[in-house]
Amino acid sequence: MAFLELTNVRKSFGQVNAVESFDLKVERGELVSFLGPSGCGKTTTLRMIAGFEMPTDGSITINGADITYVPPNKRNVGMVFQSYALFPNMTVADNIGFGLKIAKKPSSEIKKRAEEMLALIHMPGLGNRYPYQLSGGQQQRVALARALAFSPQVLLLDEPLSALDAKIRVSLRGEIHSIQQKLGITTIYVTHDQEEALSMSDRVVVMNNGHIEQIGTPFEIYNFPKTEFVAQFVGTLNTLTAEVRDAADKRLVVDGQEIKSAHALDGAQVGEKVTVSIRPERISFYGEIQKVNTMNCTVENISFLGSIVRIQVRTGANVFYMDTFNNPFLELPKIGDKIQITFSAEAVLVLRQSA
Amino acid sequence: MKKINFWAWLWIVLGAVYFFLPLYGTLDFSLREQRGVLSFLAYQNVLNDPRFRDSFTFSTLMAVATIIVGLLLIVPTAYWVHLRLPQARPIVEFITLLPFVVPAIVLVFGFIRIYSGPPLALTNSTTTTNALLMFGYMVVALPYTYRSVDAGLRAIDVRTLTEAAQSLGAGWFTILFRIIFPNLRVALLSGAFLTFAIVVGEFTLANLLNRPAFGPYMVLLGQDRAYEPAALSIMSFALTWAAIGLIQLLSRGAPEQSQLGGVH
Ligand SMILES: Nc1ncnc2c1ncn2[C@@H]1O[C@H](COP(=O)(O)OP(=O)(O)OP(=O)(O)O)[C@@H](O)[C@H]1O
Ligand SMILES: [Mg+2]
Repeated sequence: MAFLELTNVRKSFGQVNAVESFDLKVERGELVSFLGPSGCGKTTTLRMIAGFEMPTDGSITINGADITYVPPNKRNVGMVFQSYALFPNMTVADNIGFGLKIAKKPSSEIKKRAEEMLALIHMPGLGNRYPYQLSGGQQQRVALARALAFSPQVLLLDEPLSALDAKIRVSLRGEIHSIQQKLGITTIYVTHDQEEALSMSDRVVVMNNGHIEQIGTPFEIYNFPKTEFVAQFVGTLNTLTAEVRDAADKRLVVDGQEIKSAHALDGAQVGEKVTVSIRPERISFYGEIQKVNTMNCTVENISFLGSIVRIQVRTGANVFYMDTFNNPFLELPKIGDKIQITFSAEAVLVLRQSA
Repeated sequence: MKKINFWAWLWIVLGAVYFFLPLYGTLDFSLREQRGVLSFLAYQNVLNDPRFRDSFTFSTLMAVATIIVGLLLIVPTAYWVHLRLPQARPIVEFITLLPFVVPAIVLVFGFIRIYSGPPLALTNSTTTTNALLMFGYMVVALPYTYRSVDAGLRAIDVRTLTEAAQSLGAGWFTILFRIIFPNLRVALLSGAFLTFAIVVGEFTLANLLNRPAFGPYMVLLGQDRAYEPAALSIMSFALTWAAIGLIQLLSRGAPEQSQLGGVH
């Protein structure tokens, strides 16, 4: 049995089904992210694990114990909030020690633990400050220390970085990840930022409209999206309309040009219209690289994105992007040029329409 | 530019005159009990009057009791409404405004009718009459105390703080007394101060329940003395201002105040 299990969990608020048939098994020490657009039910699911919401249906277990209806203060689950939620009337050290104080630990132990935690979050000596004397990033680190100090079984974080600015977000992301690894604590991390989810998770749960679209490692989610929604939501995606020419041989036609896919077409009919997707970084200029598929297109736009250059091309009604690494010797086409591009058969994904 | 400044100053001066002139008149009058010289005789007379000391002590004790019991009742109620029944807020707000609509005289006659006979004959003993008076004071002060507590709760993120405390293992009692009350310091202080001012000056309830409170004493004094009531007014003004100054002083260092403008 996995350490944290959600079985067929459902939550409705009146008419609104916020979460439906949610099944997830999280192993001890794993960091799992919930990724999805606003309103897809990430927070609601997290709050059911924390005990702030009761599921309408289904069950939740931690370490084999059913906690579905256990009140939040009896669950031993740490939580970090988007708005930090430090207690304004207490010093940093008292905030961190609050959980242990509730558990009636001796004050010498609480003090020692608070110092340990302050060292862990790289804020030694700031225990006597009040929350309002700290920056947002520091406050969130204290909130993390507070949630970890009483050694909870599971750590829950609800968009902990979204109130911070971009630079701090990236550095704190790394810090949270390394602390999580060091302590080996089972963690659920809610975010709508795919970079965050992909960079720190062992596995990602992509959610949409209250249900799970796909569960997988960041590698699987990015490279082998199972539904159109996942493909669209994670990374930049080109979708092209194609017509099936030969399902068995996996041959398709895009704007009169034949391409091959390496992925099964699942008994599609000849002439049937399907959506295929190709990641921009898997398309190259034909010439230096030669792959199975080639296609003629017209350049419509070129944009520099720092380390990569994104070129927008068109063939017939299909407009899509290709990415190429930037370097000073790069010879770029001009807008309006006719170019030939190439990509492998593996790069051509035929998408199942999402539910 | 000049013109606007002139008018602005004119109104400020007019307002100040309207406010300070009567005060100055009262002060001047209160110092003239001895013919021909300015003296504090009237103040001495008041302070040496045992009835003054007794009634003021009685009212102070009543005020303290009203503040403690009132806040213990109002804070958890307002907290719960904020947390769990936000849709009930207009109703609660309406109820807390009723003391403005229903005069104290109606309230006290209601009290006397209901509590002067069985099953709850509260007016039969001094202690229970005092309790009845305290509950009456609570009702009269309710619009002010509820409003300051409500404003205090709005200034903090009640729900998230509650959930943070819950996830750390805290129960309701701990949340209320370690998180909510301490973070409402300024709100509680101003609520307490308003209650104090209302209780000390209240006449109707104390008079009709026949308790030796400060309000009835002031009225009595006004009936048979000339200079002393003026001295009393000046003293209560001074007391009020001292209390306001104290609130300002205490709230300056309070974390919740600084955080309002802080990082979020
Ligand atoms: N207390 C509530 N009462 C009614 N509906 C709610 C409640 N909480 C959430 N919902 C609804 O449930 C759905 C899921 O909300 P949830 O907060 O879980 O989304 P989310 O994925 O966390 O979104 P975001 O990224 O914006 O935080 C939304 O449609 C929301 O309106
Ligand atoms: Mg959310």
